[in-house]
Amino acid sequence: MPNPIVLIVDDSRVSRLVTRQHILARHADWTVVEAGTGEEALARAPELQPQLVLLDVNMPGMGGVAAAEQMRRLLPAAHISLLTANVQEATRKRAQDLGIGFMEKPITEERIARLIAPLEG
Amino acid sequence: MVELSELEHDALVEIFNIGVGQAAAAMSGIVGEEVTMSVPSITFLSRIEAAQLLEDAHRRSGSMQGTGERICGVSQHYEGAFQTEAILMFPEDKSLEIVRLMVGESVPLAELSEMEQEAMSEIGNIILNSCVGTLANIFQQELHGSLPVYQVGSSDEILDATGSRAETVVMMLHIDFILEKHQIHGYVAFILDVTALHDLKEQIDRYLARAMGQH
Repeated sequence: MPNPIVLIVDDSRVSRLVTRQHILARHADWTVVEAGTGEEALARAPELQPQLVLLDVNMPGMGGVAAAEQMRRLLPAAHISLLTANVQEATRKRAQDLGIGFMEKPITEERIARLIAPLEG
Repeated sequence: MVELSELEHDALVEIFNIGVGQAAAAMSGIVGEEVTMSVPSITFLSRIEAAQLLEDAHRRSGSMQGTGERICGVSQHYEGAFQTEAILMFPEDKSLEIVRLMVGESVPLAELSEMEQEAMSEIGNIILNSCVGTLANIFQQELHGSLPVYQVGSSDEILDATGSRAETVVMMLHIDFILEKHQIHGYVAFILDVTALHDLKEQIDRYLARAMGQH
């Protein structure tokens, strides 16, 4: 099986960097691709076919929840998770209804480990 | 003035967005509806510029509603990794709107005003501590805060209430506070002296070095 591809969607460059570092620290051979908006992520997803998509919620443009909803349809088999500090029931419920994951920010080694665990088999 | 690079600036905006995101979750529990809070921008200003910005923003919102010119501020002093005075500010009429959301429709206006101080101190405590707490956690440092102090006055009075004027910089966070039927713009100001600003920059750089894997 080819190495997993992870797509990180976040408008913050620092946030993308931190996520990337944590993933590569564990799996230097994985491919990590970054997108700054939901729109960009959706445009690139069909060609990339990532196994894991991590989406920030507050982003300019369509935002992470709407992007996740469309991503779910584009990539029915992929693991998709929101990554946000806004851990309200309303957001949690929306994620659940969409069949996507939910992880609290700030990004830590331990949280990333949990997100990538399904790809480690 | 200490200049922040684009990456340092991005890091600060992200840290504060995480902070207000957590505050939004806490606020949502209080007002019983979904709350979205974000920090679209951070600017570094002199005290005079900061007061001017607040006045202009207030005049824009106030002129439409014919409200007064006072703002309501909740401040807390922090010490530790760096020293700062943090102030949460809303136009006075908006603060009553927020308090109304907290206590519900049944409370008469007169009583609402009496509760304003207590309710706003609580909100200030939640928002400021979420911001500062997130900063501290990400910097792997501790910051100790005093109890919140509530004040109503002109932007000048609120910004000046924190004492020494000499060589201070105001790190001004614009906050968008969105509830189901309300959209409220507020500000959080961090008053930093030259040493504090330098300390803050150093903490950001350490965080970035860790983020890049240069442990």
